[in-house]
Amino acid sequence: MKDVLAKVVSTAVQGFKAEYVEVRAQKLRKTAITVKEARVEAAKQGIENGTALRVLVKGAWGFASISTLNVEALSAAVSDACRMARAASARRRVPVKLAPARAVEDKVVLKPRKDPGKVPVEDKMNLLLTVNNTVLQNDNRVKSVTTNYLDLTGTGYFINSEGAYIEQGKLYVFLGVSAVARENDVFTYSREAMGSTSGYEVFDVETPVKVAETVARRATAQLKAKPPRGGTFPVVLGPNVVGTFVHEAFGHLAEADITLSGSVLSDKLEKKVASNVVTFYDDGTVNGAFGSFKYDDEGVPAQKTLLVKDGALVGLMHSRETAQQLSARPTGNSRAEDFRVEPIVRMRNTFIEARDYSFEELIEGVKFGYYLKSFRGGEANLDGTFQIGIQEAYEIVKGEIGEPVRNASISGNTLETLFKVDAVGKEFELWPGVCGKGQSAFVSQGGAHTRVKGVMVGGSA
Amino acid sequence: MAALRQQELLRLAEKASETALKKGADEAETCVFQDLSNYVSIERGQIAKTSRVIDRGLGCRAIVNKSLGFCYTNVLENETAIEETVLKALGFAKASKPDDDWHGLPAEKPFASVEGTYDRRIENLHSENLVETASVMLDAAQKKDKRVFPVEGEVRASYLSAGLANSNAVSVVDSGTMIECSLATIGHEAGEVTPVCFEFNLERTYDINPAAVGEEAARLAVSALKAKKTETKDTCVIFTQFALQQLLSYTFINAINADHVQRDQSVFRGRVGERVASEIVTVYDDGLLPGGIRTWRFDGEGVPQQKTLIIEKGVLRGFIYDNYTARKEGKGSTGNGSRASYLSTPSVDATNLHFQAGSKSAEELIGVVDEGLLVNSVQGAHTSNPASGEFSVVATPSWKIKNGEIAYPVKGAMLVGDIFHLLENVSVLAQNERKIGQLVAPWILVENVKVIGK
Repeated sequence: MKDVLAKVVSTAVQGFKAEYVEVRAQKLRKTAITVKEARVEAAKQGIENGTALRVLVKGAWGFASISTLNVEALSAAVSDACRMARAASARRRVPVKLAPARAVEDKVVLKPRKDPGKVPVEDKMNLLLTVNNTVLQNDNRVKSVTTNYLDLTGTGYFINSEGAYIEQGKLYVFLGVSAVARENDVFTYSREAMGSTSGYEVFDVETPVKVAETVARRATAQLKAKPPRGGTFPVVLGPNVVGTFVHEAFGHLAEADITLSGSVLSDKLEKKVASNVVTFYDDGTVNGAFGSFKYDDEGVPAQKTLLVKDGALVGLMHSRETAQQLSARPTGNSRAEDFRVEPIVRMRNTFIEARDYSFEELIEGVKFGYYLKSFRGGEANLDGTFQIGIQEAYEIVKGEIGEPVRNASISGNTLETLFKVDAVGKEFELWPGVCGKGQSAFVSQGGAHTRVKGVMVGGSA
Repeated sequence: MAALRQQELLRLAEKASETALKKGADEAETCVFQDLSNYVSIERGQIAKTSRVIDRGLGCRAIVNKSLGFCYTNVLENETAIEETVLKALGFAKASKPDDDWHGLPAEKPFASVEGTYDRRIENLHSENLVETASVMLDAAQKKDKRVFPVEGEVRASYLSAGLANSNAVSVVDSGTMIECSLATIGHEAGEVTPVCFEFNLERTYDINPAAVGEEAARLAVSALKAKKTETKDTCVIFTQFALQQLLSYTFINAINADHVQRDQSVFRGRVGERVASEIVTVYDDGLLPGGIRTWRFDGEGVPQQKTLIIEKGVLRGFIYDNYTARKEGKGSTGNGSRASYLSTPSVDATNLHFQAGSKSAEELIGVVDEGLLVNSVQGAHTSNPASGEFSVVATPSWKIKNGEIAYPVKGAMLVGDIFHLLENVSVLAQNERKIGQLVAPWILVENVKVIGK
């Protein structure tokens, strides 16, 4: 493989005087199963082999993606990419430059205890059928349940014109369960996910059946839940929700490409952006976590990146291009979903660092507020407006957890909200997720319970 | 890698389906997709890169004893790889569980003709043409106002082909083109940053106006500057097509999906013939809409696309079906078996969801509002409750309407409610229909929307 890819690199360097060339090839196999109630809707398997070619010619990028590993086709495609880059360079005012990175040569071999590629498909189907059965048996008001399973195994190959060559094993296992419960005119929806980069053994630890029980219990409990009051209230965010807040409301703004686009963090480096109890990391090295890997898609080693330390913005997440623009070092955050797209700045495992409050201490001073336990999704805007939808929440009344609340969401301005964080708990959790930014990335997010003095809660009561 | 011609795609599909039958499948279906795209990306006020993507592959569904397996590959260069894919699909079918509701693959049916889905000029565009188009769009935005910063944008030209062959003598092929130019901007002035403002053209024929897109993206950003908070109250809201598309995508589109209806996840279950929306609301799923973004001769199962009545003057008339959900009820598919390229099995989805327009111009629609909001886009629609249709989203950007005129931009307003009550409260429709993703609709005015301002 190395010889083929090296030949493609030299075609671009010698034939087109490319300043920089990288070739990313993949050989991947995916297995996906969907089970709806007791019906296996589809058991699928697929092969996705292909190559992404990125070249820098006269300060502009050219990119080509092609579903082959054939050397002649790749040489033609890289020539195309060089010609396209020239076409773009005529209109580019400031040439692209890359921050230096060590040219790594490495072969990363994964050693899962249970390789998902070797688990028979029958076993996977039976696991999903058990999950669905568990959900449906829990309560007859649960009307439907969908479970999706995905595993992805294979190898990524990376070579660039600076002498890097990396072969890296890839392994992801994911399981998502969602259910709908109904009682008369009230419909509720509940979902959970598990994800790992370690292996199929993840299902031995926190078993899918437990996840199924959580999904079913939440769906039925929500039938009796009431809508929240609309307005500004103190809230305690569970690790699952605070993780979404760190990822969506803050993390995207600290992706250096977004920061450079004028996000509200663009003039805040080394300044206070949050209260003193806030410390954020984006860490690509957490063992087995869904957002972990050894090298990013520019061949830069993943690392633990400190973003906010005791309330001050101290770092951003970088590709080699953004690092050069901001005189920083690459952080290993440049990721591409697959061979069809180019790498962009993405998060890995993003979280708020735990501190020392117990859960009881966090809620005891709250006269009336909300405990937001589990999220449904979230989204942020460049101006710092965030929105997080909540699938499980409770009132906090006089320092105690009260009645369940459904379909809440919170919104506000990221920086204003970060200054209102006044206490962080001690128990730490990470949750897997799939982040969308034009392309998908497997990530995780989390932290410890976090109290915010006031945030706007959307509700219909 | 040379592009495959239509007949080559179809031949691959036919051969794979034949192989599956020969190797023991009761039924087989193979689809082959090819996507040839060129695009130019704008990043942070500059043209950043030009790209070309060639993606193609083949997916085979094999059925043995009412049990289904699917396998795909993007290695089309050798016959062995394709045969291995077919054999694996068969293996998966044998490993899977029988489904008593499986009543066979679709049979051959005559096709309606479709218009405005292919333009040779798009197929023949080069990177240089796209760079030029991107420059025109970018220059138009940058000339408009110094306070505007173009964050990102794209010009993309695609040529898409699909061939499908099954064991029921369905053997069909179709090709089409798309061209898109889009620009996202922010406005900034004295430390204030606006939410992202967005404009685009996406057409099947070479009928885009990059200068107008650039100017409009810039105009929106400037008009979102100096935003104020608003009060908490129930008020009139005009939703533009962007906001409406976002809200419908995660709620209403599920409710009309036969799979959701059959599995008791839809509030519309058992309500055909009942009033479910304001009497001025009429909605079709129109897979044949001329120039529609999702207009094709056939769907992901080779079933002819069609025009299906969903809501007529507020009364629910029907749902959208793929082959499986339709046969389960002893009906025919409505041509809504959707497929995301060769990688996936079919599932029910809308084609072009067409909300019939009214007669007022946009200005006249704003003119009827004494006090309310104009909402261009919402943030967080994907966190709606997909079954109950309840949403709690932020309007970004939005503008206050006072005495029939736009007064000032509003920041951080949350809109709370559920899509079904919203549709019951639609009071006026504009005539300014446009296509946004799978939605074709005008601006709509809705009464009594709960807005949380502070």
